[in-house]
Amino acid sequence: MSASSTIATGSAEETRAAGHLLGTLAHAGDVVVLTGDLGAGKTVLAKGVATGLGVTDPVTSPTFNILLMHRGRFELAHFDLYRLDSAVQLEDIDFWGVLESGAVALVEWGDRFADELPDDVLTVTLTITGDEARAIEARPSGPRSAALADAWADAWAGRETCDG
Amino acid sequence: MSVTVRTMTPADLDAALAIEHESFPAPWSRGMFADELTRPGRIWLAAVDDTGALVGYGGVMRVAEEVHLMNLAVAAGCRRTGVARALLGELRTRAATAGGRHLTLEVRERNESARALYAAEGMIVTGRRPGYYETGEDALIMGADLPAVAVGQPGPAAGPPVAAADAGRELVLAIETSCDETAAAVMRGGAELLSSVVASQVDFHSRFGGVVPEIASRKHTEAIVGVVDAALEQAGVSLADLDALAVTHGPGLIGALVVGVAYAKGLALATGLPLVGVNHLEGHIFANVLDDPTVGPPLIALVVSGGHTSLIHVPEWGVYRTLGETLDDAAGEAFDKVAKVLGLGYPGGPVISRLAEEGDPAAIDFPRAMLRSGDYRFSLSGLKTAVINHVRHEREAGREIHAPDLAASFQAAVVDVQVAKTVRAAREHGVAVVCLAGGVAANPSLRESLRAALAAEGIRLSVPPFALCTDNAAMIAAAGTWRFRRGERLGLDAEAVSDLRLG
Repeated sequence: MSASSTIATGSAEETRAAGHLLGTLAHAGDVVVLTGDLGAGKTVLAKGVATGLGVTDPVTSPTFNILLMHRGRFELAHFDLYRLDSAVQLEDIDFWGVLESGAVALVEWGDRFADELPDDVLTVTLTITGDEARAIEARPSGPRSAALADAWADAWAGRETCDG
Repeated sequence: MSVTVRTMTPADLDAALAIEHESFPAPWSRGMFADELTRPGRIWLAAVDDTGALVGYGGVMRVAEEVHLMNLAVAAGCRRTGVARALLGELRTRAATAGGRHLTLEVRERNESARALYAAEGMIVTGRRPGYYETGEDALIMGADLPAVAVGQPGPAAGPPVAAADAGRELVLAIETSCDETAAAVMRGGAELLSSVVASQVDFHSRFGGVVPEIASRKHTEAIVGVVDAALEQAGVSLADLDALAVTHGPGLIGALVVGVAYAKGLALATGLPLVGVNHLEGHIFANVLDDPTVGPPLIALVVSGGHTSLIHVPEWGVYRTLGETLDDAAGEAFDKVAKVLGLGYPGGPVISRLAEEGDPAAIDFPRAMLRSGDYRFSLSGLKTAVINHVRHEREAGREIHAPDLAASFQAAVVDVQVAKTVRAAREHGVAVVCLAGGVAANPSLRESLRAALAAEGIRLSVPPFALCTDNAAMIAAAGTWRFRRGERLGLDAEAVSDLRLG
């Protein structure tokens, strides 16, 4: 299993671009947990993942609805567990059923229920390093998420080389 | 002191405002009073002493048989002299004469003297609204039946769209479970509200053994039977009396929506009643008609809540053109998240609007996202980030955050964009009325700013009372009756649609 890797972005646009790359690499059944403070850019990254998956409808914050589904190359299940306060409620929203449905799952605030997550997930942590600058750390916990993290880091490095 | 009770007029406003300010920590503004005095379905009374000086006032809103006490205050020097009792008695009599049958009110839990007065008048506590007041205090809901009065023209206020087309007196049961609230309502003829039950607003501890519904579909499942039964019971009808069922089938949280839809389909199957599907946002727009039957298309609706920020053009009932929505966070969500960053409680809306009253809205120049985008889309995520960056910079510089200024500046940035886009939409589409709907409609700054900006254009603003702004089933019943009359039906194979579009 690879160790964690970190992508540094300098603007919201770059954070979105990093998400877009991740979206192009994601496979059915992948689970990506998004963590970071309020305003760290979880929804910005999620918007990028969505376009990378070929989702064309607007991706808005799922805080209120808890789960928003979008159609792309695969279904994108965009969760926000911010408003849940106990693990029992995960069952009420059919959390595991959706994860097993073949959708790509993006789970904002998933770290609040770390014990309830599947074994093999990619945890992406956004840290505010400047007004728009972010450090995006990707930490895999199994073989599939490790492969995804490696591919993402490679693709981002390649992109930077190509760009400049 | 001898006291006379008479109808309140705009000439009473100066004196009333003085009493209002000495009576309440979060007093009504002049604009709110002025607006209330002109609204249909209201009864406002003034109590004057023998010199003609105002010593108290009170007002109720009546929607069909439901009467709600909106305000009641007595001058500090005249309390405990029977003024409040005289006002309340006359309000009850006049409301009953106008067709009201049941009176409700909210009272601060700690306002012992007011509670004692209402209790002495036969009103009993029927529920609690947690954190209802801007001070964060709970409200107790009290209610009493009004005396039966023989009247020449009983029943609901008539008006378009539903009542104008009113051939019928259809009895419709509506169910709403799109998000946190389990709600049911019974309505006759699309306007006469017989009952409206919202689970979190009911005294569940006594009634349903402590079930307090929340996000979870399991909680909706536990609550829905009791809520529907309570709505039927309060309306004094049984399933056999109904003509149709209406249910919110989207948009919303899928796990919550399916509970209402499944229950409604089950009832439809068991009773043979026709079932109608209602879009939650259409319901919010219809809430305006329940309060003021003269509201009708063409209109512009601004639906702002924890989950929605949508500007909608309604050229005629049933035709909805979404002009713009938020690209990221909803307005209510932005309030909640900024409150969280500032370490204020939840929900964020009331806390921030209260703080903002003491702050300078021009203190911090937050971005007005999309203000000049030339379209009707909104974006609130950037503003949230700007607030967070501001807080971070101030803390790094060792300066203390001035929370009232920050709240006022943040709120002004939200309100400016909402007002500018709504006014522009109203002007562009040539409408005479704008409907505000959703929980954020309770924000005083948004209401006042929007009202003033629209008034300058000769456009009227309609805002439903708070209980109809937040999620409820009365609005679903109103929209559902309209759709029922058009012959629309939801098949028993229909499913809830979490991203249901309006249109």
